Amino acid sequence: MARYGMLINTKKCIGCYACRVACQRQNKLLSDEAFIRYEEKETGAYPEVGVETVPLQCMHCEDAPCVSVCPTGAAYKGADGIVGVDHGRCIGCKYCMAACPYQVRVHNHETGTVDKCRFCTVSAAETGTKMSTCVEACLTGARLFGDLDDPDSDISKAIVSDNAQPIAGSLTKAKIFYVR
Amino acid sequence: MSENAITRRSFLAGSAGAVALAGCAGVLSFDAWSQAHAEESDAGGQTYTAHSLCNACSTKCGFTGYVVDGRLAKLLGDADHPYAKGKLCARGYGYSQIAYSADRLTDPLKKNEDGEFQAISWDEAYAEIAEKVKAIIGSDGPEALAVVHDPRPSGKYYAKRFMNALGSANVYTHGAACNLSKESGFTQVIGSGNYESDVANSKMTMFIGRSYADAIRPSSVMALQEAHERGAHIVLVDPRCSNSKVFADEWVPINPGTDLALVLAMAQVLIREGRYDKAYVAEHSVGFDEWAASIADHTPEWAEKITGIPATTIARLAFEFAEAAPAASIEPSWRGAFGCSYQNSGETARAIACFNTLLGCWNQEGGALFTSSVSAGELDEAKFPAVPKPAGKQLGAAEYPLALSSMGSNLYAARMAKEGALKGMFFYNSNMAAGYSNTAYLAEALGSLDLCVVIDVQMSETAQLADYVLPDTSYLERLELPEFVGGTVPCVALRDRVIEKVHPNTKPVDEIFTELAEACGVGEYFPFTVEDLADAQLQSVGLSLDALKTTGVAYFPDKAFTYGKAPKWKTPTEKIQFTSEAAEAAGLPAGPVWMEPAVMPAGTQLRLIGGKQAVHSHTMTANIEDLMQITKDYDLTRVWINADVAAQLGIADGDEVEVSNSEHTGTCRAKVTQRINPTALFMPSHYGCSSPEQHTAYDVGLRQMDFVPFHLEPVYGAAMTQEAIVSVKKVGA
Repeated sequence: MARYGMLINTKKCIGCYACRVACQRQNKLLSDEAFIRYEEKETGAYPEVGVETVPLQCMHCEDAPCVSVCPTGAAYKGADGIVGVDHGRCIGCKYCMAACPYQVRVHNHETGTVDKCRFCTVSAAETGTKMSTCVEACLTGARLFGDLDDPDSDISKAIVSDNAQPIAGSLTKAKIFYVR
Repeated sequence: MSENAITRRSFLAGSAGAVALAGCAGVLSFDAWSQAHAEESDAGGQTYTAHSLCNACSTKCGFTGYVVDGRLAKLLGDADHPYAKGKLCARGYGYSQIAYSADRLTDPLKKNEDGEFQAISWDEAYAEIAEKVKAIIGSDGPEALAVVHDPRPSGKYYAKRFMNALGSANVYTHGAACNLSKESGFTQVIGSGNYESDVANSKMTMFIGRSYADAIRPSSVMALQEAHERGAHIVLVDPRCSNSKVFADEWVPINPGTDLALVLAMAQVLIREGRYDKAYVAEHSVGFDEWAASIADHTPEWAEKITGIPATTIARLAFEFAEAAPAASIEPSWRGAFGCSYQNSGETARAIACFNTLLGCWNQEGGALFTSSVSAGELDEAKFPAVPKPAGKQLGAAEYPLALSSMGSNLYAARMAKEGALKGMFFYNSNMAAGYSNTAYLAEALGSLDLCVVIDVQMSETAQLADYVLPDTSYLERLELPEFVGGTVPCVALRDRVIEKVHPNTKPVDEIFTELAEACGVGEYFPFTVEDLADAQLQSVGLSLDALKTTGVAYFPDKAFTYGKAPKWKTPTEKIQFTSEAAEAAGLPAGPVWMEPAVMPAGTQLRLIGGKQAVHSHTMTANIEDLMQITKDYDLTRVWINADVAAQLGIADGDEVEVSNSEHTGTCRAKVTQRINPTALFMPSHYGCSSPEQHTAYDVGLRQMDFVPFHLEPVYGAAMTQEAIVSVKKVGA
């Protein structure tokens, strides 16, 4: 079984929000239901200034706090390691939102349930998306998706060559790796 | 619409010759996609795709719309389209929702005596508009009529044809509030309104006021990234450190309004040090010696005082250009710093074209290119009758002699409306009242008209001022005329109909202008459908409408651009003109020299500058929920203020501040940042919508144009949108 993960190279991110809107459109989300959020960082001082944008979304943690705190089992980790939401079981208590250290779970005000990035590559059969929408949409190739257990996958090689790290180290064994 | 993807390969097998229909397999196989939707289709629905062109900005990227049960389900940038290259920006995805917006105009509207709009039939609207048009022509002649449009594939053809058919030459684009100064200035020097910097292959490219990462064309972002990753020297000259900094190695935080001084000083260094391409200049230009003498005192030390950039930096940049030439250029920009911003914008454009000439970079790999283009050939006059050339001249042509007549000065038209010389105006895809210049002045000007007709998809501020509002279909609901796109390999692309009309009583732009013409008694010039005309235009270049529907894009490889060949200079002297007789006749110096901006901030005042954010286009996308939600989530309406200046004024990040000048006062939050020049206040150009019928955009943020005085750039006729000085203070302080 593959262990899916993503790499985000913030040195290539221009902070254009294309991944967010593409994700919302292709996954039919509400306008205020964004699976990707951004942290913008300014570095240096005038006029030697740098700009960094860090896109954040569900990290599909191996030690997923949302799964631990969910009282109904709606938040779960599948056999493929993808963290999912069983909307039939979700009671909208938002414990998972509070527990998520990355603050990337969102409440859908129409359904009353919580949702988040689904790593939609793996659900291609339902969405028709060959690659995760955010990966496909990125104008600069800042995102890679693939099997972390396959040493020959592009993502595995890039993680090594670019020394990509989870955003919070080993905190939750996150499966999104960042180049910064 | 065409169920094209399946038949694409079989079609391509049969195509050959000078025209190459785009043959890339695309980013997603249709089979996989239609299989994924088999269940929905089995439930009685239908699945198909169509190629179209985005309408979220002027780039018009090609994309494929995937439609399920009649509704747009997803869209993907077309890999074959030269600008999209398989991608769309956030606006491209988000703006597709305009078709389903709850704020769409659905019926023709007439303003009644109480100033309220009421729905009327198309026949009534046409009859009443025609009656007023005829009355205006009867009393004041056709030159008292004008149309303003932001060019779109069909709109630019029909709007112009309609106005010319009525006998008026008063056809204006949005240009005076966009790229009029730039294109007019370039034309004086190189005989062309534009060029393309070969960024991807350059050793050095300087951007002045333009940010590929904030006003996104996917292919431009990719070219910039390629240049950066290859190690090219990418310099951003901008009062604001834009998001392009990710792919640039230097930000030059110039005082806004002083780009001209920087360019002239760099030129002065190259000339003084003999580091320009002397052979190129001698062979291709006129007026060099005179111009060189006129800028001999424009030294880096002189420019430092004006621009705020150290003289050593200016000299270094000049030498770096000399080293990199001819694989180097100053990028042509678009609206940016010298499209329409300052009193010296047209002259800045002239100076930039002169500077690039010193580099000998025209048509050189990595330099500045005049790429190829193709246009439709002659059509059958019996089917597509020629419209006689209007007798009169475009209003403003005499007053603003260097303004390109293909754009004209729409602001002069507004002034003529206010002064009573213009009686009737039509607007298509143009929100002049909110985006072109001072909003109070424009409201008064448009309010003075006997007849104001607006064709749009939503109740824009301009539509609010109209006597009649005619509801257009959205870009997704109609076929348009083919769009010819210049480039290293020129091509033609198609906006095909993706979905059926959402609102049955809307009409596509081609029908509206055709029926207006018929009502006004000039229907003889419109005896064809948009399909007829599109097919005839495509047949004239060896294609057909059916063929282009199948692929979306077709290339003309036999017209491909090649490096090295000097273009034919379309100037009066057929040379590059360091000096211009026309400029001199218009009262300008023969060659570009320093000219002050119209106003300068004093004391703690700041110059108000505008600009794009990656999620919006001017005022037209603010009402899109997906995009406005980003504005709200990230507080993007904030004005940017330099951190040191903010500290002096006691303003902290996120504080509510009052921005005021002689034109307007308003409050919003401040973004305190190291990313802006201390003499500037940046206000994004998208907000402050004052039309309550745009429920998402209404009353969010401040509107730049409320603060901009109504004035026109001498000789060039542009809006001088950044000749505005404001004071800023913390609310309650």
